[in-house]
Amino acid sequence: MYRRVRGEEIALIFQDPMTRLNPLMTVQDHFVEEIQVHESVSSTEARNRAREALVSMGIHETRIRNYPHEFSGGMRQRIMIALALVLKPSLLIADEPTTSLDVIVEAQILEILQDLKQVYSMSLLLITHNLGIVAEVCDRVAVLYAGKLVELGSVRDIFHKPLHPYTQGLLSSIIHLETKQLHSIEGSPPDLIAPPSGCRFHPRCSFAESICRDKIPPLVEFEPGHFAACHFGDKFL
Amino acid sequence: MSTPAVAVQRELRDELLRLDELKVHFPVKMPFIQRLLQREEAAVHAVDGISFGIRAGEILGLVGESGCGKSTVGRACVRLVKPTSGRIFFGGQNITKLGGENLRVLRKRIQIIFQDPHASLNPAMTIGRGIGHPLWIHRSSLGPQKSGPEKFGEWVRQRVLNTMREVGLTPEAQLYDKLPGDLSGGQKQRAVIARALILKPDLLVVDEGVSMLDMSIRARVLELMLDLKRRHGLTYLFITHDLATAKFICDRIAIMYMGRIVEIGPAREIYADPKHPYTKALLQVIPIPDPDKRKEKVLPRGEVPDAVHPPAGCRFHPRCPAVLATCGWEGRDFVDFLDEHLSDQKRAGDDESVLGPIEGWRADGLVASLKAKPLNVEKTVERVKAVLAEAPIAMTQAIESVSGRNRTVTVRFRSPDQLLQTNVQDRLVECLLYQ
Repeated sequence: MYRRVRGEEIALIFQDPMTRLNPLMTVQDHFVEEIQVHESVSSTEARNRAREALVSMGIHETRIRNYPHEFSGGMRQRIMIALALVLKPSLLIADEPTTSLDVIVEAQILEILQDLKQVYSMSLLLITHNLGIVAEVCDRVAVLYAGKLVELGSVRDIFHKPLHPYTQGLLSSIIHLETKQLHSIEGSPPDLIAPPSGCRFHPRCSFAESICRDKIPPLVEFEPGHFAACHFGDKFL
Repeated sequence: MSTPAVAVQRELRDELLRLDELKVHFPVKMPFIQRLLQREEAAVHAVDGISFGIRAGEILGLVGESGCGKSTVGRACVRLVKPTSGRIFFGGQNITKLGGENLRVLRKRIQIIFQDPHASLNPAMTIGRGIGHPLWIHRSSLGPQKSGPEKFGEWVRQRVLNTMREVGLTPEAQLYDKLPGDLSGGQKQRAVIARALILKPDLLVVDEGVSMLDMSIRARVLELMLDLKRRHGLTYLFITHDLATAKFICDRIAIMYMGRIVEIGPAREIYADPKHPYTKALLQVIPIPDPDKRKEKVLPRGEVPDAVHPPAGCRFHPRCPAVLATCGWEGRDFVDFLDEHLSDQKRAGDDESVLGPIEGWRADGLVASLKAKPLNVEKTVERVKAVLAEAPIAMTQAIESVSGRNRTVTVRFRSPDQLLQTNVQDRLVECLLYQ
């Protein structure tokens, strides 16, 4: 049952393309195995589809018999994306897809991911800590803190009108080219074995009052499509 | 009256560190037979002739992508790797070949901080002992060494506690006996900084010192570094891949690509008006945290080439969006272009029977050649010429001749112009566009 969803409906690409490919298998074997697990097609047919998928990611088809170590980091990440796409899933989950890559290669991979939305009309769940990437690629954003969803909204709402103090702190601590003054969030992330009571952010929050310690704030829709889990969310509207 | 020569000398005196044509090559391990057949020793050209100086009290940023050699430069400054050639001066003294006791004395004055605070601390040593360890190592050259071990131990403890307070590793008395495993990432990095500072060094090499830290903690560690610079007049070599952080903290910036410095100058000017196409590309790809400022980018093609065989001429030329005909085009650039051309699906398949197979092409320096079937030579020459019309214009202009003789098709490039560092508005740029 899971098998029919995994790969065919939902595909996943990981942070580290260096270790996610089997070093003892050629690129072609990765594809053939994946396709034949899900569909009953001949190896020739599977190889043809593998070739198509690779070429669509800008990798020469003569390299299909190469081993993972013969490719650079960016190429390996493109192979990972090709592997994820060959079954034409409707949702792609990308977990920090560019964190281990260089900035220029990162921009190249992000361009590919953006194209996917248009070419395959595929949905993308992008997991990242890099807010710059979020601003460039995403339509909607969910902000997590200590295992809880604290804010959810369109990318414009989140960046221009953040409602949760954690989101605000996160945005002001970005170091970008226009940074004149450094900001940081006081304290450090909580211990998840014994998380803080009430709002999990309250020990680090400069707006916290007693209600924040006593009561878990529900996720409330403060304006259409813009949710936040803060007792004082309307203060920032 | 000061003549230019005197001015240069004064500048040298103000410089704490100077690298002069520094090269660090790492030999590539290969089987014995292959080594016999090889004409020259294969080596990774990690650092390939770089020169720069750091003035006392300055923060110099060394910026580049991974594998460009920036960390190797940092390690060479501390003499952790042996330079292949070139010279390193520290405070006017040539330290390139220093060894033994002299090197140990030098290490008191130059300290290094590595990227990963978790791996930089001995997990079996308490924080206090770890931070104080350099004092024990350099005991013979420190003040109160003549008094007994107990006295010295007490002196070390006081100095460790003071340094911990200074870097914000508090409450210092409680943390003194903790093990690194009990500390958070930010605290560990503060411990590493404390250990580097305890000998009161003149120069601190920071190799990606904040890259592993969370955004919110990173800001605080950067502030600490700036604060230490103000209070102690510390000099930094700040090695990073993050241009935004470098802009915030550095006085001057050096941009490195494949073992060469392509642009060096005051940070403010480089960010306001980058000159080298590689600097422009790097600045352009920094994501802007504002969804309203999304824009199309012109990205350099491909990835960083193999550092064992760096491209001829300017090393950025195969990827450069502003490349000229004289930038260093060579045989393998043609083979790479042909490879790309043949793999393009949209083209007719019969191309490869005349132009290829791609594996048949050999590149040697400025020449690319193909052993063709006797009947095909002329046809291939014609086809190569036709295909070149679609190549980057700079590459086509760089080709001297396409000829067919003795069953061999040869594509020959002109020799490139010599690349020199040029002074452009307060900075040095290594690019033919400004020569």
